[in-house]
Amino acid sequence: MAHPSQLGFQDAASPVMEELLHFHDHALMIVFLISTLVLYIIVAMVTTKLTNMFLLDSQEIEIIWTILPAIILILIALPSLRILYLMDEINNPHLTVKAIGHQWYWSYEYTDYQEIAFDSYMVPTQDLAPGQFRLLEVDHRMVVPTEAPVRVLVTAEDVLHSWAVPSLGVKMDAVPGRLNQTAFIASRPGVFYGQCSEICGANHSFMPIVVEAVPLKYFQDWSTLMLEDA
Amino acid sequence: MSMSGESEDADKKGFKLFGILDVQNVPCARESLLFGAGSALAAGLLHFLTTSRVRRSYDVGFAGFFVTTLGSWFYCRINNAKLRVQERVIQQGLRNKVVYQGTSLDPTQTGPTQMGPTQPQPPKDF
Repeated sequence: MAHPSQLGFQDAASPVMEELLHFHDHALMIVFLISTLVLYIIVAMVTTKLTNMFLLDSQEIEIIWTILPAIILILIALPSLRILYLMDEINNPHLTVKAIGHQWYWSYEYTDYQEIAFDSYMVPTQDLAPGQFRLLEVDHRMVVPTEAPVRVLVTAEDVLHSWAVPSLGVKMDAVPGRLNQTAFIASRPGVFYGQCSEICGANHSFMPIVVEAVPLKYFQDWSTLMLEDA
Repeated sequence: MSMSGESEDADKKGFKLFGILDVQNVPCARESLLFGAGSALAAGLLHFLTTSRVRRSYDVGFAGFFVTTLGSWFYCRINNAKLRVQERVIQQGLRNKVVYQGTSLDPTQTGPTQMGPTQPQPPKDF
């Protein structure tokens, strides 16, 4: 999960997020090299004693600084497009969960077999147990099985919201009157935190998302328990 | 649990070049930059020893750094990507091992499978 003064991404918990991290490292290295090149040229320009009053027809450098950026852009674009289409692949989900945004909480529905529906409110700071995270914990987590493709259908009841879990590489707008679909695979068991990502009123910062990925056996036990409690 | 998490975060913070590139935690970054720095030093020094031109030697050194870092970065990342594909294939195979064990799809089976209906065998005279 996120830690204070964090600048980079959280650790990946899904294959898509792993690919995004790799692409980010790739693009960052290219950006870093270009930045050092520009810095070096600036220093060289500033410290030279040479002046040139008549600079005409520098064909070679013009060709170089046209072709080279084009090549660099292609080297960035190819992996980018690969990931873009990878994220849109149809993956035959094992489970469908509906995430509905309200002011100011999320509700989840598992309706593949029987109806499991519950609201997910943030745990107020004064009610936190020792070791729990402020503004991130919820009373009922969205539980999913690990290693299983999960489809999430996102919508909203009132105003715009956005369902986002950074470590799963997922963000999808919740629009009233519209169903948006996204999917993920949780590669490892764990608890993954996210927050509403579209301004939705006074308590926009206080409607977090918590996804708990557990092995299938425990997911079955949890769903049985939820059905009994309903 | 939070205490161990804090110590892990402290180790993971590492060193960020220009404040953006996390050299310790990004795969291939450290090796590429070290190769680049080494070749910059070597190329610049070699050029200076042969030509005695200071500024041009700096330029050659920097060009060596740029090209070597970029080249070793791409080489390392491509190999890394191939390893990750192999890793995924192996993981998938391990997951499928239990499912396919004893069937005709079991890759560890060397002879005809003993399970399932018996197949008619040709007479040994042939």
